[in-house]
Amino acid sequence: MSTATTHAAEHPADPYPGGLMRWLTTTNHKDIGTMYLTFSLIMFFIGGLMILAVRAELFQPGLQLMRPEFFNQLIGVHALVMIFAALMPAATGFANWMLPLMIGAPDMALPRLNNWGFWLLPPAAILLTLPFTLALFGIGDGALATGWTFYAPLSVQGGMGVDFAILAVHILGISSIMGSINIIVTIFNMRAPGMTMMKLPLFAWGWLITAFLLIATLPVLAGAVTMLLTDRHFGTHFFDAAGGGDPILFQHLFWFFGHPEVYILLLPVWGLMPHVLSTFSRKPAYGYTAQVYSFIAIGLLSVVVWAHHFFTAGMPIPALVYFMFSTMAISIPLAVLFFCWIATMWKGAMTFETPMLFAVGFIVLFGIAGLTGLILADVAADAQYHHSYFVVAHFHYALFAGGIMGVMTGVYYWLPKWTGHMYSEKLGKLHFWLTVFSFNLTFIPQFFLGLAGMPRRIPDYALQFAEFNAISTLGAFVLGLSQLLFAWNIWCCVRGGPKVESRVWEGAEGLEWELSSPPPHHSWETQPTVK
Amino acid sequence: MSENDMAPAFSDADLARRRNAARRLGWLLGAAVLALYLIGLFIKR
Repeated sequence: MSTATTHAAEHPADPYPGGLMRWLTTTNHKDIGTMYLTFSLIMFFIGGLMILAVRAELFQPGLQLMRPEFFNQLIGVHALVMIFAALMPAATGFANWMLPLMIGAPDMALPRLNNWGFWLLPPAAILLTLPFTLALFGIGDGALATGWTFYAPLSVQGGMGVDFAILAVHILGISSIMGSINIIVTIFNMRAPGMTMMKLPLFAWGWLITAFLLIATLPVLAGAVTMLLTDRHFGTHFFDAAGGGDPILFQHLFWFFGHPEVYILLLPVWGLMPHVLSTFSRKPAYGYTAQVYSFIAIGLLSVVVWAHHFFTAGMPIPALVYFMFSTMAISIPLAVLFFCWIATMWKGAMTFETPMLFAVGFIVLFGIAGLTGLILADVAADAQYHHSYFVVAHFHYALFAGGIMGVMTGVYYWLPKWTGHMYSEKLGKLHFWLTVFSFNLTFIPQFFLGLAGMPRRIPDYALQFAEFNAISTLGAFVLGLSQLLFAWNIWCCVRGGPKVESRVWEGAEGLEWELSSPPPHHSWETQPTVK
Repeated sequence: MSENDMAPAFSDADLARRRNAARRLGWLLGAAVLALYLIGLFIKR
Protein backbone atom coordinates (compact mmCIF):
# COMPACT_ATOMS: atom_id res chain seq x y z
CA MET A 1 0.00 0.00 0.00
CA SER A 2 1.28 3.39 -0.93
CA THR A 3 1.79 5.69 2.01
CA ALA A 4 2.42 9.39 2.58
CA THR A 5 0.72 10.33 -0.64
CA THR A 6 -2.14 12.29 0.80
CA HIS A 7 -3.14 15.88 0.59
CA ALA A 8 -2.81 15.91 4.37
CA ALA A 9 0.77 14.75 4.06
CA GLU A 10 1.58 17.97 2.25
CA HIS A 11 0.67 19.79 5.47
CA PRO A 12 1.87 17.42 8.19
CA ALA A 13 1.28 19.68 11.19
CA ASP A 14 -1.74 21.48 9.75
CA PRO A 15 0.04 24.80 10.14
CA TYR A 16 -2.90 26.97 9.22
CA PRO A 17 -2.99 30.26 11.10
CA GLY A 18 -5.33 30.87 13.99
CA GLY A 19 -7.75 33.70 14.69
CA LEU A 20 -8.82 36.07 11.96
CA MET A 21 -6.02 35.02 9.59
CA ARG A 22 -7.41 31.49 9.56
CA TRP A 23 -10.68 32.73 8.14
CA LEU A 24 -9.11 35.25 5.76
CA THR A 25 -6.67 32.80 4.22
CA THR A 26 -8.40 29.44 4.53
CA THR A 27 -8.75 27.21 1.49
CA ASN A 28 -10.48 24.43 3.42
CA HIS A 29 -13.92 23.68 2.04
CA LYS A 30 -15.42 23.26 5.51
CA ASP A 31 -14.12 26.61 6.76
CA ILE A 32 -15.36 28.35 3.62
CA GLY A 33 -18.71 26.58 3.89
CA THR A 34 -19.03 27.78 7.48
CA MET A 35 -18.24 31.35 6.41
CA TYR A 36 -20.84 31.25 3.65
CA LEU A 37 -23.49 29.93 6.03
CA THR A 38 -22.64 32.44 8.77
CA PHE A 39 -22.69 35.31 6.28
CA SER A 40 -26.01 34.08 4.95
CA LEU A 41 -27.56 33.94 8.42
CA ILE A 42 -26.41 37.48 9.25
CA MET A 43 -27.78 38.83 5.97
CA PHE A 44 -31.04 36.91 6.50
CA PHE A 45 -31.59 38.88 9.69
CA ILE A 46 -30.59 42.19 8.06
CA GLY A 47 -32.98 41.57 5.14
CA GLY A 48 -35.63 40.47 7.62
CA LEU A 49 -35.31 43.66 9.67
CA MET A 50 -35.80 45.72 6.50
CA ILE A 51 -39.06 43.99 5.65
CA LEU A 52 -40.31 44.19 9.25
CA ALA A 53 -39.97 47.98 8.92
CA VAL A 54 -42.02 47.74 5.72
CA ARG A 55 -44.69 45.60 7.40
CA ALA A 56 -44.79 48.01 10.36
CA GLU A 57 -45.55 50.84 7.94
CA LEU A 58 -48.27 48.75 6.30
CA PHE A 59 -49.88 47.83 9.63
CA GLN A 60 -52.32 50.69 9.13
CA PRO A 61 -53.37 52.75 6.13
CA GLY A 62 -51.70 56.16 5.86
CA LEU A 63 -48.04 57.08 6.30
CA GLN A 64 -46.86 56.47 9.88
CA LEU A 65 -43.19 55.66 10.06
CA MET A 66 -41.35 56.59 6.88
CA ARG A 67 -41.35 58.56 3.68
CA PRO A 68 -42.47 56.71 0.52
CA GLU A 69 -38.94 57.03 -0.96
CA PHE A 70 -37.46 55.21 2.03
CA PHE A 71 -40.20 52.56 1.82
CA ASN A 72 -39.25 51.92 -1.81
CA GLN A 73 -35.59 51.59 -0.87
CA LEU A 74 -36.39 49.08 1.85
CA ILE A 75 -38.37 46.72 -0.38
CA GLY A 76 -35.73 46.79 -3.16
CA VAL A 77 -32.77 46.20 -0.90
CA HIS A 78 -34.70 43.58 1.14
CA ALA A 79 -35.12 41.52 -2.03
CA LEU A 80 -31.54 41.94 -3.22
CA VAL A 81 -30.17 41.06 0.22
CA MET A 82 -32.42 38.01 0.62
CA ILE A 83 -31.72 36.67 -2.89
CA PHE A 84 -28.06 37.48 -3.43
CA ALA A 85 -26.72 37.69 0.12
CA ALA A 86 -28.87 35.22 2.10
CA LEU A 87 -30.31 32.43 -0.08
CA MET A 88 -27.56 32.07 -2.69
CA PRO A 89 -24.69 32.06 -0.17
CA ALA A 90 -26.60 29.54 1.98
CA ALA A 91 -26.80 27.15 -0.96
CA THR A 92 -23.12 27.75 -1.77
CA GLY A 93 -22.29 27.09 1.88
CA PHE A 94 -24.09 23.74 1.67
CA ALA A 95 -22.19 22.92 -1.54
CA ASN A 96 -18.85 23.78 0.02
CA TRP A 97 -19.47 21.78 3.15
CA MET A 98 -21.14 18.76 1.66
CA LEU A 99 -20.08 18.18 -1.97
CA PRO A 100 -16.52 16.98 -1.20
CA LEU A 101 -17.86 14.80 1.62
CA MET A 102 -20.60 13.37 -0.60
CA ILE A 103 -18.47 12.62 -3.66
CA GLY A 104 -15.37 11.43 -1.81
CA ALA A 105 -13.14 14.38 -2.75
CA PRO A 106 -10.40 15.71 -0.44
CA ASP A 107 -11.55 19.31 -1.06
CA MET A 108 -13.05 21.50 -3.77
CA ALA A 109 -11.00 21.35 -6.98
CA LEU A 110 -9.96 25.01 -6.88
CA PRO A 111 -9.58 25.96 -3.21
CA ARG A 112 -8.02 29.42 -3.65
CA LEU A 113 -10.76 30.44 -6.08
CA ASN A 114 -13.14 29.25 -3.40
CA ASN A 115 -11.63 31.58 -0.80
CA TRP A 116 -11.71 34.52 -3.21
CA GLY A 117 -15.32 33.79 -4.17
CA PHE A 118 -16.39 34.07 -0.55
CA TRP A 119 -14.40 37.18 0.33
CA LEU A 120 -16.00 39.13 -2.51
CA LEU A 121 -19.31 38.83 -0.69
CA PRO A 122 -18.82 41.07 2.37
CA PRO A 123 -17.71 44.12 0.33
CA ALA A 124 -20.66 43.60 -2.01
CA ALA A 125 -23.05 43.42 0.95
CA ILE A 126 -21.55 46.63 2.32
CA LEU A 127 -22.04 48.32 -1.06
CA LEU A 128 -25.68 47.22 -1.10
CA THR A 129 -26.48 48.59 2.34
CA LEU A 130 -24.04 51.54 2.55
CA PRO A 131 -26.30 54.10 0.85
CA PHE A 132 -28.74 53.80 3.79
CA THR A 133 -25.95 54.70 6.20
CA LEU A 134 -24.60 57.52 4.04
CA ALA A 135 -28.09 59.01 3.76
CA LEU A 136 -28.31 59.12 7.55
CA PHE A 137 -25.30 61.48 7.47
CA GLY A 138 -26.87 63.58 4.76
CA ILE A 139 -24.76 62.10 1.95
CA GLY A 140 -26.67 61.03 -1.14
CA ASP A 141 -30.30 60.09 -1.43
CA GLY A 142 -30.26 56.58 -0.03
CA ALA A 143 -30.32 53.12 -1.59
CA LEU A 144 -31.90 52.19 -4.91
CA ALA A 145 -35.63 52.81 -4.93
CA THR A 146 -36.53 50.84 -8.03
CA GLY A 147 -37.33 47.50 -6.50
CA TRP A 148 -34.85 44.66 -7.02
CA THR A 149 -35.61 44.56 -10.76
CA PHE A 150 -33.85 47.87 -11.62
CA TYR A 151 -36.51 48.60 -14.25
CA ALA A 152 -35.60 51.34 -16.71
CA PRO A 153 -36.33 54.21 -17.12
CA LEU A 154 -36.77 54.66 -13.34
CA SER A 155 -33.33 53.20 -12.68
CA VAL A 156 -31.76 55.46 -15.33
CA GLN A 157 -33.12 58.47 -13.47
CA GLY A 158 -32.51 57.17 -9.90
CA GLY A 159 -29.96 58.44 -7.38
CA MET A 160 -26.53 57.10 -6.54
CA GLY A 161 -28.06 54.13 -4.73
CA VAL A 162 -28.58 52.60 -8.17
CA ASP A 163 -24.84 52.88 -8.89
CA PHE A 164 -24.01 51.20 -5.59
CA ALA A 165 -26.44 48.39 -6.38
CA ILE A 166 -25.08 47.96 -9.94
CA LEU A 167 -21.55 47.60 -8.58
CA ALA A 168 -22.74 45.27 -5.81
CA VAL A 169 -24.60 43.04 -8.30
CA HIS A 170 -21.48 42.83 -10.48
CA ILE A 171 -19.38 41.71 -7.53
CA LEU A 172 -22.01 39.28 -6.26
CA GLY A 173 -22.28 37.89 -9.78
CA ILE A 174 -18.52 37.39 -10.10
CA SER A 175 -18.54 35.61 -6.74
CA SER A 176 -21.38 33.31 -7.86
CA ILE A 177 -19.67 32.56 -11.18
CA MET A 178 -16.47 31.60 -9.36
CA GLY A 179 -18.43 29.36 -7.01
CA SER A 180 -20.27 27.78 -9.95
CA ILE A 181 -17.10 27.07 -11.92
CA ASN A 182 -15.60 25.49 -8.83
CA ILE A 183 -18.64 23.29 -8.24
CA ILE A 184 -18.81 22.11 -11.85
CA VAL A 185 -15.11 21.22 -12.06
CA THR A 186 -15.22 19.56 -8.64
CA ILE A 187 -18.13 17.34 -9.62
CA PHE A 188 -16.59 16.48 -12.99
CA ASN A 189 -13.03 15.88 -11.81
CA MET A 190 -12.93 15.02 -8.11
CA ARG A 191 -15.40 12.16 -7.71
CA ALA A 192 -14.22 9.03 -5.92
CA PRO A 193 -13.50 6.01 -8.13
CA GLY A 194 -16.71 4.23 -9.02
CA MET A 195 -18.95 7.25 -8.54
CA THR A 196 -20.36 7.59 -12.03
CA MET A 197 -22.60 10.53 -12.88
CA MET A 198 -25.68 8.38 -12.36
CA LYS A 199 -24.49 7.46 -8.87
CA LEU A 200 -23.95 11.10 -7.96
CA PRO A 201 -25.99 12.19 -4.91
CA LEU A 202 -29.10 14.12 -5.97
CA PHE A 203 -27.90 17.15 -4.01
CA ALA A 204 -24.85 17.26 -6.28
CA TRP A 205 -27.06 16.90 -9.36
CA GLY A 206 -29.28 19.79 -8.21
CA TRP A 207 -26.21 21.95 -7.68
CA LEU A 208 -24.66 20.97 -11.01
CA ILE A 209 -27.70 22.23 -12.92
CA THR A 210 -27.77 25.34 -10.72
CA ALA A 211 -24.12 26.08 -11.52
CA PHE A 212 -24.71 25.80 -15.27
CA LEU A 213 -27.73 28.10 -14.98
CA LEU A 214 -25.65 30.67 -13.11
CA ILE A 215 -22.95 30.56 -15.76
CA ALA A 216 -25.48 30.93 -18.55
CA THR A 217 -27.53 33.76 -17.08
CA LEU A 218 -25.40 35.92 -14.78
CA PRO A 219 -23.37 37.38 -17.67
CA VAL A 220 -26.64 38.57 -19.21
CA LEU A 221 -27.62 40.33 -15.97
CA ALA A 222 -24.13 41.80 -15.75
CA GLY A 223 -24.44 43.02 -19.35
CA ALA A 224 -27.86 44.55 -18.65
CA VAL A 225 -26.73 46.48 -15.58
CA THR A 226 -23.54 47.58 -17.36
CA MET A 227 -25.74 49.00 -20.14
CA LEU A 228 -27.80 50.67 -17.43
CA LEU A 229 -24.63 52.18 -15.98
CA THR A 230 -23.57 53.56 -19.36
CA ASP A 231 -27.07 54.96 -19.91
CA ARG A 232 -26.78 56.73 -16.55
CA HIS A 233 -23.29 58.16 -16.91
CA PHE A 234 -21.86 57.79 -20.41
CA GLY A 235 -24.56 59.12 -22.69
CA THR A 236 -25.80 55.84 -24.22
CA HIS A 237 -29.51 55.24 -24.86
CA PHE A 238 -29.99 51.49 -24.64
CA PHE A 239 -33.13 51.86 -22.55
CA ASP A 240 -34.11 55.45 -23.34
CA ALA A 241 -36.97 55.69 -25.85
CA ALA A 242 -36.17 59.35 -26.54
CA GLY A 243 -32.73 58.34 -27.82
CA GLY A 244 -33.99 55.39 -29.87
CA GLY A 245 -33.63 52.86 -27.07
CA ASP A 246 -36.22 50.56 -25.55
CA PRO A 247 -37.09 50.26 -21.85
CA ILE A 248 -38.73 46.88 -22.51
CA LEU A 249 -35.35 45.58 -23.69
CA PHE A 250 -34.17 45.92 -20.10
CA GLN A 251 -37.06 43.78 -18.90
CA HIS A 252 -36.17 41.07 -21.41
CA LEU A 253 -32.51 41.09 -20.37
CA PHE A 254 -33.27 41.23 -16.66
CA TRP A 255 -35.76 38.38 -16.69
CA PHE A 256 -33.59 36.22 -18.91
CA PHE A 257 -31.52 36.06 -15.75
CA GLY A 258 -34.35 36.63 -13.27
CA HIS A 259 -36.49 33.62 -14.05
CA PRO A 260 -33.71 31.02 -14.04
CA GLU A 261 -32.64 32.70 -10.79
CA VAL A 262 -35.78 31.27 -9.19
CA TYR A 263 -34.55 27.78 -10.09
CA ILE A 264 -31.01 28.70 -9.11
CA LEU A 265 -32.40 29.33 -5.63
CA LEU A 266 -34.56 26.20 -5.60
CA LEU A 267 -32.61 23.43 -7.38
CA PRO A 268 -30.09 22.92 -4.54
CA VAL A 269 -33.05 22.54 -2.18
CA TRP A 270 -34.80 20.11 -4.52
CA GLY A 271 -31.59 18.12 -4.60
CA LEU A 272 -31.41 18.07 -0.83
CA MET A 273 -35.03 16.99 -0.26
CA PRO A 274 -34.70 13.35 -1.41
CA HIS A 275 -31.80 12.84 1.00
CA VAL A 276 -33.85 14.07 3.97
CA LEU A 277 -37.06 12.30 2.96
CA SER A 278 -35.21 9.06 2.32
CA THR A 279 -33.38 9.26 5.67
CA PHE A 280 -36.48 9.79 7.78
CA SER A 281 -38.62 7.38 5.76
CA ARG A 282 -35.86 4.75 5.96
CA LYS A 283 -36.25 3.99 2.27
CA PRO A 284 -34.13 4.76 -0.80
CA ALA A 285 -35.14 7.91 -2.69
CA TYR A 286 -37.82 7.04 -5.22
CA GLY A 287 -37.14 7.66 -8.92
CA TYR A 288 -33.49 8.71 -8.93
CA THR A 289 -33.27 8.81 -12.73
CA ALA A 290 -36.60 10.59 -13.08
CA GLN A 291 -35.44 13.26 -10.62
CA VAL A 292 -32.15 13.78 -12.48
CA TYR A 293 -33.94 14.21 -15.81
CA SER A 294 -36.51 16.50 -14.17
CA PHE A 295 -33.68 18.73 -12.89
CA ILE A 296 -32.23 18.88 -16.40
CA ALA A 297 -35.64 19.57 -17.98
CA ILE A 298 -36.41 22.33 -15.48
CA GLY A 299 -32.98 23.86 -16.06
CA LEU A 300 -33.50 23.91 -19.83
CA LEU A 301 -37.08 25.20 -19.65
CA SER A 302 -36.16 27.91 -17.15
CA VAL A 303 -34.15 29.84 -19.74
CA VAL A 304 -36.91 29.98 -22.34
CA VAL A 305 -39.87 31.31 -20.33
CA TRP A 306 -38.69 34.69 -19.03
CA ALA A 307 -41.33 36.96 -20.58
CA HIS A 308 -44.16 35.67 -18.38
CA HIS A 309 -42.89 38.21 -15.83
CA PHE A 310 -44.12 41.07 -18.00
CA PHE A 311 -47.09 39.83 -20.01
CA THR A 312 -48.78 43.17 -19.34
CA ALA A 313 -45.95 45.19 -20.92
CA GLY A 314 -47.38 44.23 -24.29
CA MET A 315 -46.14 41.71 -26.82
CA PRO A 316 -47.50 39.95 -29.91
CA ILE A 317 -50.18 37.31 -29.33
CA PRO A 318 -47.99 34.41 -30.56
CA ALA A 319 -45.32 35.45 -28.05
CA LEU A 320 -47.89 35.56 -25.24
CA VAL A 321 -49.15 32.10 -26.15
CA TYR A 322 -45.62 30.69 -26.43
CA PHE A 323 -44.51 32.08 -23.06
CA MET A 324 -47.74 30.95 -21.38
CA PHE A 325 -47.48 27.33 -22.56
CA SER A 326 -43.72 27.04 -22.09
CA THR A 327 -44.12 28.33 -18.52
CA MET A 328 -46.90 25.86 -17.81
CA ALA A 329 -44.72 23.08 -19.25
CA ILE A 330 -42.36 23.50 -16.28
CA SER A 331 -45.10 22.10 -14.07
CA ILE A 332 -44.61 18.67 -15.71
CA PRO A 333 -41.06 17.92 -14.51
CA LEU A 334 -41.88 19.71 -11.25
CA ALA A 335 -44.86 17.40 -10.76
CA VAL A 336 -42.52 14.46 -11.35
CA LEU A 337 -40.34 15.76 -8.49
CA PHE A 338 -43.35 16.13 -6.18
CA PHE A 339 -44.44 12.62 -7.08
CA CYS A 340 -40.97 11.23 -6.31
CA TRP A 341 -40.81 13.06 -2.97
CA ILE A 342 -44.21 11.72 -1.92
CA ALA A 343 -43.43 8.22 -3.23
CA THR A 344 -40.20 8.24 -1.20
CA MET A 345 -42.28 8.65 1.96
CA TRP A 346 -44.97 6.19 0.84
CA LYS A 347 -45.11 3.19 3.20
CA GLY A 348 -41.84 4.28 4.80
CA ALA A 349 -41.01 3.90 8.49
CA MET A 350 -41.34 7.64 8.97
CA THR A 351 -40.27 9.65 11.99
CA PHE A 352 -40.63 13.40 12.29
CA GLU A 353 -37.43 14.90 13.57
CA THR A 354 -37.02 18.62 12.84
CA PRO A 355 -35.43 18.22 9.35
CA MET A 356 -38.28 15.91 8.31
CA LEU A 357 -40.87 18.37 9.63
CA PHE A 358 -39.30 21.12 7.56
CA ALA A 359 -39.11 18.83 4.50
CA VAL A 360 -42.79 17.90 4.72
CA GLY A 361 -43.70 21.54 5.42
CA PHE A 362 -41.67 22.47 2.35
CA ILE A 363 -43.61 20.03 0.14
CA VAL A 364 -47.01 21.33 1.26
CA LEU A 365 -46.20 25.05 1.17
CA PHE A 366 -44.05 24.94 -1.94
CA GLY A 367 -46.95 23.11 -3.60
CA ILE A 368 -49.03 26.24 -3.04
CA ALA A 369 -46.30 28.27 -4.79
CA GLY A 370 -46.48 25.91 -7.77
CA LEU A 371 -50.25 26.04 -8.04
CA THR A 372 -50.47 29.84 -7.73
CA GLY A 373 -47.65 30.04 -10.28
CA LEU A 374 -49.85 28.22 -12.77
CA ILE A 375 -52.53 30.86 -12.26
CA LEU A 376 -50.01 33.65 -12.92
CA ALA A 377 -48.70 31.86 -16.01
CA ASP A 378 -52.15 32.20 -17.59
CA VAL A 379 -52.03 35.31 -19.78
CA ALA A 380 -55.70 36.17 -19.29
CA ALA A 381 -55.61 35.75 -15.51
CA ASP A 382 -52.25 37.47 -15.16
CA ALA A 383 -53.70 40.72 -16.45
CA GLN A 384 -55.78 40.78 -13.26
CA TYR A 385 -53.08 39.69 -10.82
CA HIS A 386 -49.98 41.37 -12.24
CA HIS A 387 -48.25 43.78 -9.86
CA SER A 388 -50.70 42.90 -7.08
CA TYR A 389 -50.10 41.37 -3.65
CA PHE A 390 -51.11 38.03 -5.14
CA VAL A 391 -47.71 37.99 -6.85
CA VAL A 392 -45.96 38.92 -3.59
CA ALA A 393 -47.67 36.06 -1.76
CA HIS A 394 -46.91 33.61 -4.60
CA PHE A 395 -43.18 34.29 -4.74
CA HIS A 396 -42.84 34.20 -0.97
CA TYR A 397 -44.38 30.72 -0.98
CA ALA A 398 -41.72 29.89 -3.59
CA LEU A 399 -38.73 31.61 -2.02
CA PHE A 400 -39.47 31.48 1.71
CA ALA A 401 -41.36 28.19 1.95
CA GLY A 402 -39.42 26.69 -0.95
CA GLY A 403 -36.05 28.36 -0.54
CA ILE A 404 -35.52 29.41 3.05
CA MET A 405 -37.44 26.54 4.66
CA GLY A 406 -35.43 24.26 2.37
CA VAL A 407 -32.23 25.80 3.69
CA MET A 408 -33.50 25.32 7.25
CA THR A 409 -34.17 21.67 6.40
CA GLY A 410 -30.55 21.33 5.33
CA VAL A 411 -29.18 23.14 8.36
CA TYR A 412 -31.06 20.91 10.83
CA TYR A 413 -30.15 17.81 8.79
CA TRP A 414 -26.43 18.49 8.54
CA LEU A 415 -25.72 20.65 11.61
CA PRO A 416 -24.95 17.61 13.82
CA LYS A 417 -22.56 16.35 11.13
CA TRP A 418 -20.81 19.74 10.96
CA THR A 419 -20.52 20.34 14.69
CA GLY A 420 -20.47 16.85 16.18
CA HIS A 421 -23.30 17.90 18.52
CA MET A 422 -27.05 17.38 18.44
CA TYR A 423 -29.20 20.51 18.42
CA SER A 424 -32.25 20.83 20.66
CA GLU A 425 -35.11 18.92 19.01
CA LYS A 426 -37.58 20.68 21.28
CA LEU A 427 -36.46 24.12 20.10
CA GLY A 428 -36.25 22.91 16.51
CA LYS A 429 -39.82 21.66 16.52
CA LEU A 430 -41.05 24.85 18.21
CA HIS A 431 -39.21 26.81 15.53
CA PHE A 432 -40.88 24.76 12.79
CA TRP A 433 -44.43 25.14 14.07
CA LEU A 434 -44.04 28.87 14.79
CA THR A 435 -42.52 29.39 11.33
CA VAL A 436 -45.28 27.53 9.50
CA PHE A 437 -48.05 29.19 11.49
CA SER A 438 -46.70 32.72 11.20
CA PHE A 439 -45.63 32.32 7.57
CA ASN A 440 -49.19 31.43 6.59
CA LEU A 441 -50.56 34.18 8.81
CA THR A 442 -48.35 36.63 6.90
CA PHE A 443 -48.93 35.50 3.35
CA ILE A 444 -52.43 33.97 3.08
CA PRO A 445 -53.95 37.44 3.69
CA GLN A 446 -51.72 38.77 0.90
CA PHE A 447 -53.39 36.41 -1.62
CA PHE A 448 -56.74 37.94 -0.66
CA LEU A 449 -55.31 41.47 -0.79
CA GLY A 450 -54.03 40.80 -4.30
CA LEU A 451 -57.32 39.29 -5.42
CA ALA A 452 -59.08 42.37 -4.06
CA GLY A 453 -56.78 44.60 -6.12
CA MET A 454 -54.12 45.91 -3.73
CA PRO A 455 -51.02 46.81 -5.78
CA ARG A 456 -47.57 45.87 -4.51
CA ARG A 457 -44.83 48.38 -3.66
CA ILE A 458 -47.08 51.04 -2.12
CA PRO A 459 -46.63 52.46 1.40
CA ASP A 460 -50.26 53.52 1.76
CA TYR A 461 -53.50 51.84 0.70
CA ALA A 462 -57.27 52.10 0.59
CA LEU A 463 -59.19 51.54 3.83
CA GLN A 464 -60.78 48.33 2.50
CA PHE A 465 -57.39 46.56 2.76
CA ALA A 466 -56.76 47.47 6.42
CA GLU A 467 -57.75 44.22 8.21
CA PHE A 468 -55.77 41.84 6.01
CA ASN A 469 -52.72 44.11 6.21
CA ALA A 470 -52.91 44.23 10.01
CA ILE A 471 -53.08 40.40 10.16
CA SER A 472 -50.20 40.10 7.70
CA THR A 473 -48.02 42.45 9.76
CA LEU A 474 -48.81 40.53 12.94
CA GLY A 475 -47.77 37.30 11.21
CA ALA A 476 -44.57 38.88 9.87
CA PHE A 477 -43.44 39.95 13.35
CA VAL A 478 -44.09 36.50 14.81
CA LEU A 479 -42.25 34.99 11.82
CA GLY A 480 -39.29 37.33 12.33
CA LEU A 481 -39.09 36.75 16.07
CA SER A 482 -39.39 32.97 15.73
CA GLN A 483 -36.22 32.97 13.63
CA LEU A 484 -34.32 33.98 16.76
CA LEU A 485 -35.01 30.44 18.01
CA PHE A 486 -33.26 29.13 14.89
CA ALA A 487 -30.18 31.28 15.50
CA TRP A 488 -30.14 30.37 19.22
CA ASN A 489 -30.44 26.66 18.46
CA ILE A 490 -27.52 26.84 16.02
CA TRP A 491 -25.42 28.84 18.48
CA CYS A 492 -26.04 26.34 21.29
CA CYS A 493 -25.30 23.41 18.97
CA VAL A 494 -22.01 24.93 17.82
CA ARG A 495 -21.01 25.57 21.44
CA GLY A 496 -21.83 22.08 22.70
CA GLY A 497 -24.52 19.50 23.23
CA PRO A 498 -24.86 15.73 23.16
CA LYS A 499 -22.19 14.09 20.99
CA VAL A 500 -23.34 12.40 17.80
CA GLU A 501 -21.95 9.45 15.86
CA SER A 502 -20.66 9.58 12.31
CA ARG A 503 -24.00 8.31 10.98
CA VAL A 504 -26.09 10.92 12.76
CA TRP A 505 -29.45 9.66 11.54
CA GLU A 506 -30.42 5.99 11.62
CA GLY A 507 -31.67 5.96 8.02
CA ALA A 508 -28.95 8.14 6.49
CA GLU A 509 -27.11 6.72 3.47
CA GLY A 510 -24.16 8.14 1.57
CA LEU A 511 -20.43 8.71 1.81
CA GLU A 512 -20.75 11.81 3.99
CA TRP A 513 -22.06 9.72 6.89
CA GLU A 514 -18.95 7.52 6.92
CA LEU A 515 -16.73 10.35 8.11
CA SER A 516 -16.64 11.30 11.77
CA SER A 517 -18.87 14.07 13.12
CA PRO A 518 -17.41 16.66 12.83
CA PRO A 519 -15.39 15.48 9.84
CA PRO A 520 -11.59 15.63 10.08
CA HIS A 521 -9.79 18.74 8.80
CA HIS A 522 -8.72 16.84 5.66
CA SER A 523 -11.84 15.12 4.46
CA TRP A 524 -10.82 11.88 2.77
CA GLU A 525 -7.38 10.73 3.90
CA THR A 526 -8.43 7.25 2.88
CA GLN A 527 -10.15 7.29 -0.43
CA PRO A 528 -13.59 5.70 -0.73
CA THR A 529 -14.42 3.50 -3.69
CA VAL A 530 -18.05 3.39 -4.67
CA LYS A 531 -19.28 0.00 -5.84
CA MET B 1 -25.55 4.60 -2.07
CA SER B 2 -24.02 1.22 -2.51
CA GLU B 3 -21.29 -0.38 -0.40
CA ASN B 4 -18.01 1.48 -0.14
CA ASP B 5 -14.45 0.31 0.27
CA MET B 6 -11.68 2.43 1.69
CA ALA B 7 -8.49 2.58 -0.36
CA PRO B 8 -5.34 4.67 0.10
CA ALA B 9 -5.98 8.35 -0.49
CA PHE B 10 -5.68 10.07 -3.85
CA SER B 11 -2.03 9.83 -4.85
CA ASP B 12 -0.14 13.06 -5.48
CA ALA B 13 -0.01 12.27 -9.19
CA ASP B 14 -3.73 11.48 -9.38
CA LEU B 15 -4.65 14.59 -7.41
CA ALA B 16 -2.41 16.77 -9.60
CA ARG B 17 -3.96 15.29 -12.75
CA ARG B 18 -7.47 15.89 -11.46
CA ARG B 19 -6.66 19.47 -10.36
CA ASN B 20 -5.07 20.27 -13.73
CA ALA B 21 -8.11 18.97 -15.56
CA ALA B 22 -10.32 21.02 -13.22
CA ARG B 23 -8.22 24.13 -13.86
CA ARG B 24 -8.47 23.71 -17.64
CA LEU B 25 -12.24 23.27 -17.50
CA GLY B 26 -12.47 26.23 -15.10
CA TRP B 27 -10.70 28.52 -17.60
CA LEU B 28 -12.94 27.25 -20.39
CA LEU B 29 -16.08 28.02 -18.38
CA GLY B 30 -14.67 31.43 -17.43
CA ALA B 31 -14.04 32.18 -21.11
CA ALA B 32 -17.63 31.17 -21.92
CA VAL B 33 -18.91 33.58 -19.27
CA LEU B 34 -16.80 36.43 -20.69
CA ALA B 35 -17.96 35.61 -24.22
CA LEU B 36 -21.62 35.70 -23.15
CA TYR B 37 -21.02 39.06 -21.47
CA LEU B 38 -19.27 40.58 -24.50
CA ILE B 39 -21.32 39.00 -27.27
CA GLY B 40 -24.16 41.47 -26.70
CA LEU B 41 -21.95 44.27 -28.03
CA PHE B 42 -22.00 42.69 -31.48
CA ILE B 43 -25.71 41.97 -31.74
CA LYS B 44 -27.66 44.56 -33.70
CA ARG B 45 -31.14 45.25 -32.44
